[in-house]
Amino acid sequence: MTVAAPPSTRKARKRPFWTMERRDSLAGYLFIAPQMIGITIFVLIPLALVFWYSLHEWNVLAQTFRFQGLANYQTLLSDPGLPQVLGATTIFSIGLVIFNMSLALLLAVLLDQKLKGITLYRTLFFSPVVVSLVAWTIVWGFLLQNNGGINALLASVGIEGPNWLRHPTTAMISVIVVQVFKNVGLNMVLFLAALQGVPRELYEAARVDGTPAFRQFTRITLPMISPTVLLTSIITIVGSLQVFAQIAVLTQGGPGMSTTVLVYYLYQQAFQFHKFGYGATLSIVLFLIVAILTFVQWQMRRKLVFYED
Amino acid sequence: MASVTLSDVKKSYGKAAVIHGIDVDIADGEFVVLVGPSGCGKSTLLHMLAGLETITDGTIAIGDDVVNDLEPKDRDIAMVFQNYALYPHMTVAANMGFSLEHRRVAKDTIAERVKWAAGILGLEPYLDRFPRQLSGGQRQRVAMGRAIVRDPKVFLFDEPLSNLDAKLRVVMRGEIKALHQRLKTTTVYVTHDQVEAMTMADKIVVLSGGRIEQVGAPLELYDRPANQFVAGFIGSPSMNFIPGQVGASGFEADGVTLPCPAGTPIGTKAIYGVRPEHFTLSPDGIKAEILIVEPMGSETQVTMKLGQTSVIGLFRERVAGMPGETIGITIDPAKTHLFDAVNGQRLG
Ligand SMILES: Nc1ncnc2c1ncn2[C@@H]1O[C@H](COP(=O)(O)OP(=O)(O)OP(=O)(O)O)[C@@H](O)[C@H]1O
Ligand SMILES: [Mg+2]
Repeated sequence: MTVAAPPSTRKARKRPFWTMERRDSLAGYLFIAPQMIGITIFVLIPLALVFWYSLHEWNVLAQTFRFQGLANYQTLLSDPGLPQVLGATTIFSIGLVIFNMSLALLLAVLLDQKLKGITLYRTLFFSPVVVSLVAWTIVWGFLLQNNGGINALLASVGIEGPNWLRHPTTAMISVIVVQVFKNVGLNMVLFLAALQGVPRELYEAARVDGTPAFRQFTRITLPMISPTVLLTSIITIVGSLQVFAQIAVLTQGGPGMSTTVLVYYLYQQAFQFHKFGYGATLSIVLFLIVAILTFVQWQMRRKLVFYED
Repeated sequence: MASVTLSDVKKSYGKAAVIHGIDVDIADGEFVVLVGPSGCGKSTLLHMLAGLETITDGTIAIGDDVVNDLEPKDRDIAMVFQNYALYPHMTVAANMGFSLEHRRVAKDTIAERVKWAAGILGLEPYLDRFPRQLSGGQRQRVAMGRAIVRDPKVFLFDEPLSNLDAKLRVVMRGEIKALHQRLKTTTVYVTHDQVEAMTMADKIVVLSGGRIEQVGAPLELYDRPANQFVAGFIGSPSMNFIPGQVGASGFEADGVTLPCPAGTPIGTKAIYGVRPEHFTLSPDGIKAEILIVEPMGSETQVTMKLGQTSVIGLFRERVAGMPGETIGITIDPAKTHLFDAVNGQRLG
């Protein structure tokens, strides 16, 4: 026997367009909208434009803007200056990262003490970070001149200093050191915060276990702060690849091409030789190098970095 | 294994004195519990024993050696920390073997010792896990494993069970006690939980404000607390205290006369102490007004008004009364305590 269902007393209500789910997604999109708009305007569009320019011959003075496909990329492969530039960039970056990270870690360990006035020292070592980059570099430029402050200091103890910025090796060392002194405070405070985040009980346990101080550092401290080490190494490498003002002020890429790093070379090509298209091509190279390095470091984190969860 | 002797041990942080002269003798193989309220200096004392804090005054000896100026590693002690302090980046096995690595112990021996400790503590299935992959109780066991692999002279425990839930605490309490009975290593155990102290200790040291209130076997402290502090601290629910004075026919409190042992001069102002479990129901006993009845199954806890003072009674029987009604109770005078009204010291 079949019985017809009694007619519903409730009025069949139409599902509204703004369901709870749709409202939630709208809210979500609105929340990330400012960030997405910013990234689009300031990152994605410029990136696309740079890539577009790299496919052109673009001379601002001659007012030419001509599509030429991958010609700039062919030039790149046969550019006689490029190997030297990449070499200088590599030496600069590796030197900077090693020097910066080890000095920052050393300072952080020294400043991670409970001593009177320790905050004063922390502030002191951090202060160059907030100083104007160009002003800082100009002052160091004076100090590093042949008759500058540093050689005067060396002379007072009977050492004849080199003409720092006029020899390939010392010029490279100078730009690295000036850059490290400027920025080491930033990594230092990051390391300091990480060191202070290591539970004190671990060191107490290690002392009871009889772990020698150096082993406490290598076996407990370093693994515990490894996430910060990874983070700072990425920031530092990326930053080192983008160095420009220091080179422009101190050496202008010289002597010869010994301190011509990629960004400075890019600047020369685009703004001194007016080859904007080729400059854009070099930017793409820089972008790829940074992207690949970051990707590799990020991949290594599983092996090298310890995470609590 | 060794005895431990603390003589007139003091500690100050700058001008703030936190330990005011502690004397304790711990026999070889003894399980001693330091118990006291939060902030009384238990951890400080234990850290001084371990060598993690300097000693301001006095001497600490382990065995026959004064260890005041020895580094923790040279004291041959092992410590289990409140938050376990496991190395989070090392596996269970590495955590347990870590201390042996610095002692030039052969790799095979380390593995053997770790396996032995893991066997005792039931940790064999977890040796390759990281601490984050373990439950609270398992972490606790790893912390103990790390202590026992070294076979030290003395074990120090700082509130090892305070992060565990009530049930697991009871289980681990039993495990620690069993471990001690098996290894017979001298143990100093810190807790603020008097139940832990009572159930585990051979000897309890009650601390308060950086001073020793009383030292004794658990039941000694229960039966004859030296002062009002110990009386109130040991036992749960706490002992009832009723102010008044000793009279001719008993202890005269506000509105009621209570039985008390003879021997205290009449007229002495005192605090009368009686434990909740030492009241007995009796229809023609002292009348008390029921305030709250809390049945717990095996026992019934009754808050009642004795004279003008509200006290807690714990009865094996089920109490049928309703708030506002009266019940009759009796008290065995032998199980009551009198404390000086001024300084709280035991009278008689
Ligand atoms: N570094 C320090 N400087 C000054 N005072 C301190 C320091 N460490 C501890 N104290 C003080 O010493 C006293 C004892 O501290 P301790 O940690 O030993 O207490 P505790 O009995 O272990 O307490 P809890 O049960 O809360 O762990 C406290 O009053 C505390 O404020
Ligand atoms: Mg404590």
